Amino acid sequence: MTKSSVGDWYRAAGRVFRFYFFLARRAVRTRLFVILGLVPVALAVIVRVVFAGKSGEVMAVFNDILITFFLQFYIVVLSLFYGTSICAEEIENKTLHYIATRPVSRSSVIAGKSAAYILLQTVMVITGLTVSYLIMNAPSLKTGGFFPLLLRSYAALFLGTAAYTAVYAFLGTVLKRSLIIGLIFGFGWENVIQYFPGSTQKLSVVHYLKSLLPYRPVAGGKLSFLLFRLEPTSPLASIATLIIVTAFFTVLACLVFSWKEYRFDE
Amino acid sequence: MTNVIEARDLSKWYGNILGLNEISLDIGPGITGLLGPNGAGKSTFMKLITGLLKPSRGRISVLGGSPWNNPVLFSRLGFCPEIDSFYEDITGLEFLLGMIRLHGFPAAAARSKAMAALETVELAADRDRKIKGYSRGMRQRLKLAQTIIHDPEVYILDEPLTGLDPLGKRKMIKLIRSLGGSGKTILVSSHVLPEIEALTSLIVLIHQGKILARGHIHYIRDLIEKHPHQISVICDRPRHLAADFVGDANVSRISFGPSAGEVVFETGNRDQFYDRLGKSLVEKGIEVEEISSPDDNLQAVFEYLTGK
Repeated sequence: MTKSSVGDWYRAAGRVFRFYFFLARRAVRTRLFVILGLVPVALAVIVRVVFAGKSGEVMAVFNDILITFFLQFYIVVLSLFYGTSICAEEIENKTLHYIATRPVSRSSVIAGKSAAYILLQTVMVITGLTVSYLIMNAPSLKTGGFFPLLLRSYAALFLGTAAYTAVYAFLGTVLKRSLIIGLIFGFGWENVIQYFPGSTQKLSVVHYLKSLLPYRPVAGGKLSFLLFRLEPTSPLASIATLIIVTAFFTVLACLVFSWKEYRFDE
Repeated sequence: MTNVIEARDLSKWYGNILGLNEISLDIGPGITGLLGPNGAGKSTFMKLITGLLKPSRGRISVLGGSPWNNPVLFSRLGFCPEIDSFYEDITGLEFLLGMIRLHGFPAAAARSKAMAALETVELAADRDRKIKGYSRGMRQRLKLAQTIIHDPEVYILDEPLTGLDPLGKRKMIKLIRSLGGSGKTILVSSHVLPEIEALTSLIVLIHQGKILARGHIHYIRDLIEKHPHQISVICDRPRHLAADFVGDANVSRISFGPSAGEVVFETGNRDQFYDRLGKSLVEKGIEVEEISSPDDNLQAVFEYLTGK
């Protein structure tokens, strides 16, 4: 690739990004997922009212629940639906011919669309987490002691969203029933493998996400399993691994989409 | 004539099913009609031209380049697909803006081009309505708008008149003809002969993945004229009418149809048969309820041409 063709590719991906970010914002499913993201906000309000005046320990436990909801459920579900749809919705909705007959390369379509969906999901996740966290930690707003954890959570959620979206985008380009396989991966493999000792746990994305968050044994007891981790990887190695996973699967998805022939009658 | 589209020994299989069978064809500027019954391979050929499918064998080139994975070509090519599908949750204007921005036009120029395309297909008044609320005809016009919006050199129009009312069809035909007249290369498909006739006199006949014939509309018309036609007459005295045609050189078969009073003639010369029929009806005072030609369609012609 020459310098100019690399530039053309980025510009094309940028145009694809703009179009699909706009489309995704308008989509019905986005509204549904925004509502799903408001569940912890409602939960936070209820907890604040019911446990008003209780010890900080209770609040810490619910903070962990919140992070777990976003980390192990919300971003997995969002990435599953948005990631697999990057290719599949064009085939199922029979709109591929509109995008595939424009002067944008097929790889730039996957890259631009992935970026659009990752950004949209990140906005949805971070908004939900921030609002619910602020409600939960209203009394300590002035001290801001929870901000470092919140920032680390943002980073973990963003990297998690990107990695899961890339994996699901790849599945969507190669499989016809990518949603089912994605469900098995997201809620089967990921949930089981992370609790395997040794290096097996490192074959899950969630292992690295949890490694990015500080482990707080204070949240122990009945709910401690939510953030339980065996042998965490260092934060730097976790970030690097998540970036590599994202890049690797995005490139794979781009290659498959560029090479594979898709037929609507399949 | 410069060839804009060139196919050489082009074949396409879908697994074990043959979609196109060793097609060699050159298409130059102007309007070329691709005529064939459903399932003939028209859409497959068009998808190969637009790079949506890869050839299984042979090659296809458009404006000198292979269309597969060739984004540069798509700034010079417009495709109107047969399939009625859209990004339903946005408006017509938003859809066109999205499409034209993918060509790299800045916002102001994109808006002006989108508005011009909407004006051309007479959808400007409905530009802010969501596509899912559009009628079939409006959706068809929107498909054409996204085809013409970037003013391409080559137009690939797959059944563009489907779903349009008679007035809409007339306007669409006028638009396509004007594009063809301005030196653009247009390949338009249909399974309805009169539609193609209204658009162009240069026709390619395709059937079962093969090019059967290519030439002027008169040649195609001649083929149809030679095709033995069935003509059904429903009248008050079918037996008298049938008896009058026994031994007629232009009638190869006479039978009685399933409807009451129906007699069916098979003729190889429709004009002479109709002359004789008129005279016979008048002379014998037979009252006619209906005269129709049940196999006056392309499928029958193609089956005749392929010797089925």
